[in-house]
Amino acid sequence: MDFALIIALMPGVLASALRFATPIAIGAYSGVLCERAAVINIAIEGMMLVAAMVGDLVMLYTGNIWLGVIGGMLASGLLAILHGVLCINFKTDQIISGTVINIFAIGITGFAYRRFLATPTLTRPIPSTLQPIHIPFLAQIPILGDVLFQNRPIVYIMLILTFVLQYVLFKTPWGLRTRAVGEHPLAADTLGIDVYKVRHINVFLGGLVAGLGGVWFSLEQVGHFDMLMTNGKGFIGLAAMIFGKWTPVGSFIAALIFGLPEAIQITMNFYFPHVPYQFLSMIPYVLTMIVLAGVVGQAIPPAADGQPYDKQ
Amino acid sequence: MSNHNDFEKTSPWGLFLQQLIVPALAVVTALVLGAIIMWATGNDPLVAYRGLLDGAFLKKRALSETLVATTPYIFLGLAVAFGFKCGLFNIGAEGQFYIGQLAAVWVGYNVHGLPAILHLTLALGAAIVAGAIWSGIPGYLRAKLGSHEVINTIMMNYIAIYLADYLVGLSGPMRDPASSAPQTPAVDASAQLPRLSELPALMASPVTRFTAALLVAVFAFIVVRWWWQQRGNSLRGWRNPWVVGLISAGGLGLITYVFLSSLNRIGGPFTDRADRLHLGFFLAILVAVLVWWILEKTTLGFEVRTVGASPEAAEYAGISIVRNFVLAMAISGGLAGLAGGVEVLGLERNVKSFFSAGYGFDSIAVALLANNNPLGIIPAGFLFGALRNGADLMELRAGVSKQIILVVQALVLMFIAAPVIIRKLYRIRAIREEGVQLTRGWG
Repeated sequence: MDFALIIALMPGVLASALRFATPIAIGAYSGVLCERAAVINIAIEGMMLVAAMVGDLVMLYTGNIWLGVIGGMLASGLLAILHGVLCINFKTDQIISGTVINIFAIGITGFAYRRFLATPTLTRPIPSTLQPIHIPFLAQIPILGDVLFQNRPIVYIMLILTFVLQYVLFKTPWGLRTRAVGEHPLAADTLGIDVYKVRHINVFLGGLVAGLGGVWFSLEQVGHFDMLMTNGKGFIGLAAMIFGKWTPVGSFIAALIFGLPEAIQITMNFYFPHVPYQFLSMIPYVLTMIVLAGVVGQAIPPAADGQPYDKQ
Repeated sequence: MSNHNDFEKTSPWGLFLQQLIVPALAVVTALVLGAIIMWATGNDPLVAYRGLLDGAFLKKRALSETLVATTPYIFLGLAVAFGFKCGLFNIGAEGQFYIGQLAAVWVGYNVHGLPAILHLTLALGAAIVAGAIWSGIPGYLRAKLGSHEVINTIMMNYIAIYLADYLVGLSGPMRDPASSAPQTPAVDASAQLPRLSELPALMASPVTRFTAALLVAVFAFIVVRWWWQQRGNSLRGWRNPWVVGLISAGGLGLITYVFLSSLNRIGGPFTDRADRLHLGFFLAILVAVLVWWILEKTTLGFEVRTVGASPEAAEYAGISIVRNFVLAMAISGGLAGLAGGVEVLGLERNVKSFFSAGYGFDSIAVALLANNNPLGIIPAGFLFGALRNGADLMELRAGVSKQIILVVQALVLMFIAAPVIIRKLYRIRAIREEGVQLTRGWG
């Protein structure tokens, strides 16, 4: 492949890198919200899967994509409430609780898919995906416009969310309370912060955010639900969260790094059909392991992360 | 805890039954909730569960097929439990299971001319080693660099799935060129783990029967001698462990020889030609006992459990955390790989194009249902095998998709992990300290 071709392909690759980074980044934000309040959430994958399924289901029965988005987010939020009750009130092992939700998600989405979605009696609206929005003027900018300003809605929401969450976590009283609960719950409790309440709200918000990442699969990328369609992106999101040192902006950059090989892979498949696609498909997972191994020493989780708190 | 006195008052049997209450109620409650979900989505739960029961136990060969489905659950449950004992969460059993299958089938169809016992051992050994490598990598990363095994084992799952898809898929190097379906060639007869129905034909020659009897005798000798020593019987004369071991070995060997010789005439259950129950099931039970023995009676097991209970204490006592993390993960993966090897060599005899068998997540539930007790994993695996096997007939009879079983399994796991729900629901007192943390955070 010569240099000119690479240059010509660049905007397309970068745009799809941003697209594939979206669910990973959103998954990471969900993780940041939960873990800043000291609740480990490995159920992001399962929450996304359920949101993807419910989103399609709601779209099918209401004919409205945006209602699907909301329905998916609420379903994911419901699972987050369960996770919160198990981890915060019942002090269940948080990773086991997350595993419960992941298994439940595979089962219930498979069940609902076969029951309602595989051979639907209703028809989906056309188009059944969220359509790209061209931002006037900005979309005309060469390269930058192609990459940033001709995207589908959830990509924009993800970009906005990055900065909103960064601001909320580090510049507002709510963020301070959240971080206090995650670093030193006893001190927070002494100061009159309701540790359980702050944790519950954060986990619920984390669930809603994960749901947004979930509906990206069914309602923005594909247009319908497929079994197991989240394909580990929730877990990669967690790795992005760790790589991004539990900050939204850091997670976003990490998600871009994880999204890039997937974007390159699509292009490579097209130009190098003789390389088995399976090896290209492995790259994000291998990269996740390598990156994780490289940074863990320096990435320090919130001090109380994963520890249940006994109210005094 | 204040409950210590209760422990002393209760008889061993009473304690045993008390420990069974929560798992039993967890299963029942999960089945009831599953029924409610089915009813709410317009299916008849009674028809469904009747189908489940028939499919798992009552229809022809149902029990045998349930035992077939139980086999990988026992191995994989043991794999997950072994990790937990060391404080490690191996979510990657599914990937290790695939890799074990691939290694076993490769040895099975590529190596020729070995006697069956060697070929079979080699193929199963390859499965164990492959699984151990697959989980040893996350184990090493965890021990040396501290990157969490939960994420890494899941990543290894996806890598395994794509690797298997490449190897067996369309133009993959392991694909059988003679077949139109994407699958590997079948393993040689010498690498097949026999089904019970195949035993009479295999054992037709007296030499084979004698070899089998000899193996049983040697095994019996080792086990009985060890057991006799453990009981503290160092008496002289005929009650010496060596003598007792030799007598039991001779007796069991003779019984095996006679039994194998009369196999043709006995017949009985599990031996008709279409029956698929294979020796892997019995191997699984043996391995469960072996894992129990390793964990409870050996230095290795003690070190693994100490690291699992408190790494700080272990380090202070001079036990290497790095060594035990890697070893525990490798043994865990080896068991999962063995599950794959047994599944291929006993049941499928080749590897077909890959789809998610879904054993990996279930086995976490199996391990937790048994409270990570290797012997408890046998009945827990049986329960999950029955659910899995019965699910097909349930789907056929009631038209309810069999994924509902996964929902039931998740609910079982939830009630086991949060026993306080069950206790509040049924008003049962706690018998041991609960809310035990099995896993650790990212730090």
